[in-house]
Amino acid sequence: MPSSSVLGHPDLGSQLINLCSMLLLLTAFAIVAQRRLSACVDLFALQSVFLAVTAVLVAWFTGSLHIYVAALLTVVIKTVAIPIILKKVIERVNVKREVEFVVNIPPSLLICGALVILAFSVTEPISKLGFLLTRDSLAIALAIVLIGFFTMIARKKAVTQIVGFLMMENGLFLGATASAYGMPLIVELGVFFDVLVAGLIVGVYAHRLQDTFDSVDTTKLTGLKE
Amino acid sequence: MSLALLILIAAPLAAGLASLRVPTRRAMERLQLANAAVLWAAMAAVVAGVGLKGAVSFGALLRADPLSAFMDVMLAFIGGTALCYAVGYMGEELTRGHLGFLRYRRFFVYFDLFLFAMMLAVNLDNIALMWIAVEASTISAALSVGFDRTKAALEAGWKYIILNFVGIALALFGTVLVYYTAEHALGVSMDALSWTALHRAAGSTDGGLNPVVLKMAFVFAMIGYGTKAGVAPMHTWLPDAHAEAPTPTSAMLSGLMLNLGLYAVLRLKGLIDPAVGPAFTGSIMLGMGLLSMAIAAAFMLIQRDYKRLLGYSSVEHVGIALIGFGVGGPLGLFGGLFHMLNHALAKSAAFYAAGMVLLRHGHKMIERVTGLVRLAPAAGSGLLLAAVALAGLPPFGLFVSELLIAAAAYRHHQGIALLFLGLLALAFATLLAPLTRMTFAEPIHGDTVQSKPIHDDAVQDKSLHGGAAHDRPSEDARPVTAGPDRLMLSALGINLAAMSVTGLLLPIMASDWLLPVSALLDAKAGLP
Repeated sequence: MPSSSVLGHPDLGSQLINLCSMLLLLTAFAIVAQRRLSACVDLFALQSVFLAVTAVLVAWFTGSLHIYVAALLTVVIKTVAIPIILKKVIERVNVKREVEFVVNIPPSLLICGALVILAFSVTEPISKLGFLLTRDSLAIALAIVLIGFFTMIARKKAVTQIVGFLMMENGLFLGATASAYGMPLIVELGVFFDVLVAGLIVGVYAHRLQDTFDSVDTTKLTGLKE
Repeated sequence: MSLALLILIAAPLAAGLASLRVPTRRAMERLQLANAAVLWAAMAAVVAGVGLKGAVSFGALLRADPLSAFMDVMLAFIGGTALCYAVGYMGEELTRGHLGFLRYRRFFVYFDLFLFAMMLAVNLDNIALMWIAVEASTISAALSVGFDRTKAALEAGWKYIILNFVGIALALFGTVLVYYTAEHALGVSMDALSWTALHRAAGSTDGGLNPVVLKMAFVFAMIGYGTKAGVAPMHTWLPDAHAEAPTPTSAMLSGLMLNLGLYAVLRLKGLIDPAVGPAFTGSIMLGMGLLSMAIAAAFMLIQRDYKRLLGYSSVEHVGIALIGFGVGGPLGLFGGLFHMLNHALAKSAAFYAAGMVLLRHGHKMIERVTGLVRLAPAAGSGLLLAAVALAGLPPFGLFVSELLIAAAAYRHHQGIALLFLGLLALAFATLLAPLTRMTFAEPIHGDTVQSKPIHDDAVQDKSLHGGAAHDRPSEDARPVTAGPDRLMLSALGINLAAMSVTGLLLPIMASDWLLPVSALLDAKAGLP
């Protein structure tokens, strides 16, 4: 069983993974606190780097080789490919900052803090069961998913909403890797492919929004009501 | 038989890829009609196989058990008629010059891939791979929804993307949770994701799957896949998408994609109920079903666009099916499944007719369309019959399924049954009133597309063609026909006929067919 095959120093492994997960959470807060769109994309790339490192740690301490492949895919797709695509979109639409917010930065950060507490309390019954490699990883994963979701609804520009969605996917990958030791390889491949295509589609849509509405401010999309 | 399963899934994929290179409109028509024929044949073979042997598999991953076979029938039958309809409808659009040949081709690529992804999703014996296929169908549907280049279509497409991508991410979290608890029972491998293995583990009382984790997984999956199924309160993308997507796509969305979401929820329910008891999932589904019905009925009152009206009607019917599944028991489950099938038939027929109306008038406003029965008899009577079916009148199948669900609800709790019937009555009125006005009221002449210059405000905004400058109307354009194309009419006719069959004959014959499905979902116990 996986939890008993942690090699070497089980405590060290859990602590390192916890450290990486915490760094992931920090980048999530940093994204929420950002105004500049290109900085959001850079922070997302950084978050994906930490995610890849976490995956490598899990692979090292549990000896599951296929997680290395997933970590490599994370680096290629989420730290390189998708940020390049998003940077191109930002250039194309010529929007540099979020000027107005649905929820301003200070209350946003407070709400994200509350979401973290919510995530921990929701996953508490599971972590008590003691199956996880690290107790906090599932909670942090859920917290990142919730923060990503919050970003999507609390920000106006399409690019920031895309970053929020991608953050949700990062949280999911963390959840799958650190608590379930990663899903079988074919599943990981399929998920990555889907995320990549989804990212492309959203990028294409942002272009079209710019062409049609002359802005990527999604609060201008109010034609369809009731 | 197993080969038939592979063909069933591969046919739309092959057709979609081939569509990229089709040289003429005639060739495309032949390709898509052949696609439909192959789908129907393969579906018949798979159903025969499941009837004889209980399940049909191909390789380790593709497996059609009775529930999959049920979905296969729905997908293949309605997918086939939708293909016929799409050929006719998009052919007409091509003739009128609303889109060039390149975009015509692209439409069919998206359409076929959409069908392929759905077909794949219901035949996979793996919870995570099913998720991947469902995501693929979400993506291809997104491409289809935003197909028209109007502002409204883009907005609808964006809303669709945001809500559905978030939903699918939540569904993935639920899937991860299921895998997480399954690992301990079944080991770290693909087996831990197989529906058959998971069913067995869920049923076993010792060291099976952890109920707490499963409950949490179900909540995430219900919200996630429920978004895809159009369950309230996550349904807000649905009316917009149905109104702005090309009509064949709207038919596929309502008829098939919503049912795909319900299928995923049902699979999870079948997994979780043996471990946790039916009350947990049942009450959640019952509550959300009632909410969907209530919200849909309320919003239908204020609709001015007939495609949006039909979209809200879909939300209502998804709610009805959910109530059936939530109340459970053999009666409720049978009713819910039957309702999924009948709604798919009726709603796609309604969209086929609505599309004909749209082609005739060029706009989607209810108040400006009247007297269809006299002015456009085929579209008018088709719309009327579909509306009557959707409102739940006999002899169409929806009457039977709603009756079954009402009976099951009554056994569980009289108050809920009365609420259900009240909401049904409200929806009946709000759906039929505008549609009968469109078909019967005194005709206003001169509102059709032929009687004014071709002015596509509702269909497409030419000024946004931008990069489509090289799309030219196809060389072999035919003159604008006076009435709807034969293919569209046959699609409509086939659906209406099928609805009568299910309404009159199927309840008698369906016991052998749907009961194994109910057994699969452990329907012996319902809500007390």
